[in-house]
Amino acid sequence: MFIWQVIFALGALLNTFWLMDLGRFVFGIGGESLAVAQNTYAVSWFKGKELNLVFGLQLSMARIGSTVNMNIMGWIYSRVQDLLGYTGPSTLGLTLMIGGITCLFSLTCALILAYLDKRAEKLLCKEQGKTGEVIKLTDVKDFSFSLWLIFVICVCYYAAVFPFIGLGKVFFIEKFRFSSQEASAINSIVYIISAPMSPVFGLLVDKLGKNIIWVLCAVITTLASHIMLAFTFWNPWIAMCLLGVAYSLLACALWPMVAFVVPEHQLGTAYGFMQSIQNLGLAIIAIAAGMILDTRGYLFLEVFFSACVCLSLIAVVMLYFVNHLTGGDLNWSAKKREKLQKVAATE
Amino acid sequence: MQYNPGWNNSSVNLLHVRAVGPSDTLHYIWSSIGAPTVLLVATESRSSTLGINWTQLLSPTPAGAIWIDPPSSVVYSTAVVFTKVFEYSEAKTLEELFYPMYDLSNFSWDSINHTLNHTALTAEFTGIPATDPSGSFSNGSLAFRVTAYEASGRDGPLPSLLHTANSSKVEFVLAGVALRGNSSKFVLEVATVEEIGVVQKLRSARSIDDEYTPTIFEMLSLVAESQSDSSTLSFLQWKATAYGSQTPRREDSIQCRSHGLQAANWTLPVSSIVHAYFGEGVGSTYTISAINISFGGEDGKVYQEKHYLSWSALLGFGQPPKDTFSPLVISITAVALGTPMVMLLVGSSVVLFAQRKRYSEYEPIN
Repeated sequence: MFIWQVIFALGALLNTFWLMDLGRFVFGIGGESLAVAQNTYAVSWFKGKELNLVFGLQLSMARIGSTVNMNIMGWIYSRVQDLLGYTGPSTLGLTLMIGGITCLFSLTCALILAYLDKRAEKLLCKEQGKTGEVIKLTDVKDFSFSLWLIFVICVCYYAAVFPFIGLGKVFFIEKFRFSSQEASAINSIVYIISAPMSPVFGLLVDKLGKNIIWVLCAVITTLASHIMLAFTFWNPWIAMCLLGVAYSLLACALWPMVAFVVPEHQLGTAYGFMQSIQNLGLAIIAIAAGMILDTRGYLFLEVFFSACVCLSLIAVVMLYFVNHLTGGDLNWSAKKREKLQKVAATE
Repeated sequence: MQYNPGWNNSSVNLLHVRAVGPSDTLHYIWSSIGAPTVLLVATESRSSTLGINWTQLLSPTPAGAIWIDPPSSVVYSTAVVFTKVFEYSEAKTLEELFYPMYDLSNFSWDSINHTLNHTALTAEFTGIPATDPSGSFSNGSLAFRVTAYEASGRDGPLPSLLHTANSSKVEFVLAGVALRGNSSKFVLEVATVEEIGVVQKLRSARSIDDEYTPTIFEMLSLVAESQSDSSTLSFLQWKATAYGSQTPRREDSIQCRSHGLQAANWTLPVSSIVHAYFGEGVGSTYTISAINISFGGEDGKVYQEKHYLSWSALLGFGQPPKDTFSPLVISITAVALGTPMVMLLVGSSVVLFAQRKRYSEYEPIN
């Protein structure tokens, strides 16, 4: 990761666009596999304990990171500009290099983590290779129907949140007469809310269980906020705050569900697959959203996003019934889970 | 559509568009004599005609040179005059610096004869200042593109205004005109002429629907209301945007704002066809009000880059047309919201059914 951030920065420094592209490309590969590894690690360490909380914390950290980054990079850039006395590709390059230092820090953390993991394995006499699964693409065909439903929820839901935030600024300026700064502020409120709320929701879901109900609530709230934005002139802060709350709730409740429907040895594949189709979905929907906006405008775009959320709502409802009929454990309360774990332990 | 009816000379432009309805006739008279002007006359008769006394019209005292036959059939008449184009730049101290204005009555206008399109019902009045000391118009021109409609519908290119057969579109185009300041903006002054007893009102309607003009939520209309029964007699309607390209796209949008409609106490350019039709009785038989429409937002650089600006407005009689939700939006919303509801119902009944079955299996044990 560090290496590729350096490549990216070098590209900017030398003002060569293709080198930046290469850097971004490999950075993307590294970033995504990092996310997958992170999720798998989290599950292997915390399954049956505070898994939801851990996911919440992870998300919260990531959001704090992006928020800090959004606010601080501009500041660093202007500082470097003052330092060098002129603006140009080298200013940007240097700024990105400074950004790269955080990657170096994360590399150190990863090394420590690897050491700890090894030690834990030794201490707990875990079977070798339990965390380092081989990711097999052929696992995909063994995925259960519930898992596919979770994928659908994930893709449709994220597609209605991130592309919207990407295109949202002009919407707030034109429809709600916001100034440019206000529009940026309201656009980042989703991230700002999700940073502190994610661990709280994570803990809540851990204590209460019933993941599907939480996901259902999150999806319905999101739908309501999109409809509010599309069809009313109500203060958009209400809708955006709702969206932020719903988003953090969904992330806390949805991702850990995968761990319940997938056998442990396929976990890495499942998370990897989820991440990759989520990104694929995001990419396609972002392009489609841009096209819709150009030809049909924001009302249609909002209706489109609402339809996406509805699709994921359908998937949640189906998941609920499928789970109910097959007697799955997705919607058990925390107490029931604990009891069953005890039973399993005594046997 | 008739060009200079009864006059075999193309040194001046006068375009007469006549729309005959089941029991009435609407006359649109576009002209660049004096300042660019459009005269709108609604008549009750199917056979009302336009009369022009050309020698009087081109003389310094044109009053009475344009009339409608028979005069008793006239129900309502109004005129819209595009008088001036200002250019100003906003300094950082919020002071506005105005450059010498372009007076559209001092422009020299090309003959519209070769721009007439009798199938598409369009014509274009193109002009440059008669004297251009700053040289801003050396590579550019100012134009008013006029479109008449045979049926109601919606324009293809943005801003895709909805129109009826009773309305016409005017498009104000600035192409290649050099800016005199670094970030200066243009302002178009529009004056309307109304008979006594009719007042002009500026209405701004903000809608949630931007389906036809992406990202533009505001529709402005200047409506003429009768003081006696407050019915709407005529309108000039536009979306709060101009575009910086001949093939307008969303990102070429130039913010468009209107500033204070006010009664104008000055007189119109002397030789305008307004005088020819309404006479000299400003204040006694008709009133003039004016509005400024500025193009360019806080940090709009579109004109600086493209050197093109086009602003469209629709004018016509009666109530201005209103956008409605398209059936596509309604059907998507209905399907998207309806399906989960249906699924919830079907799903819960299936689950209930399954549970009852399960219980019935247990019954013998109990």
